[in-house]
Amino acid sequence: MPEVVIAIAAGWATLLLFGGGLLLLRATDALHRLLALEVLVSIVVVLLTVLSYLRDVSYYIDVALALALLSFTATLVVARYVTRGRPL
Amino acid sequence: MGVLLDVIGIALLALGLVLSTIGLYGLLRRPDIFHQLHAAGLITGPAVILVLLASLGTGRATIITSAILVVVFVLITAPLAAHAIAQAAVRREASPSEDSEPRG
Repeated sequence: MPEVVIAIAAGWATLLLFGGGLLLLRATDALHRLLALEVLVSIVVVLLTVLSYLRDVSYYIDVALALALLSFTATLVVARYVTRGRPL
Repeated sequence: MGVLLDVIGIALLALGLVLSTIGLYGLLRRPDIFHQLHAAGLITGPAVILVLLASLGTGRATIITSAILVVVFVLITAPLAAHAIAQAAVRREASPSEDSEPRG
């Protein structure tokens, strides 16, 4: 792919990151914050993937995999915490 | 062949970013948690997968292999996380109404 396109995509993903931050600032309770953080992690995964295409190396995608795994575990634990009042 | 892969990669990348933008717009516009879950499902599932599938455009075997691993992982975990949040929202909305009803 031409580098210009990938650079534009990286800039777009960064703008989306600002939108996710706005969403996190506007959240009113724990579930809204949890949802906003999950969306933020997804946008960061997109950004890392685009960065991997830009630099033409593969290990940024492995970082994205680790981040997605952490986000999944954290989402499950916090969802349990909201309903039961304790983490597990 | 190289031009075709370029076009496929650019199209998938653009489609994924457009889906993310639509989902974020829906998230910022809707105050209710269930409506927000609908919009967030668009970002955490299809948008991420489309951007990862755009790795076909790079033509590097290492990048494509890692991307496919993440696609499989996202396919499994994104519905599970969304379901956990929805279940927590349903239970939280159900429990105060039970408590507010007069007992006895």
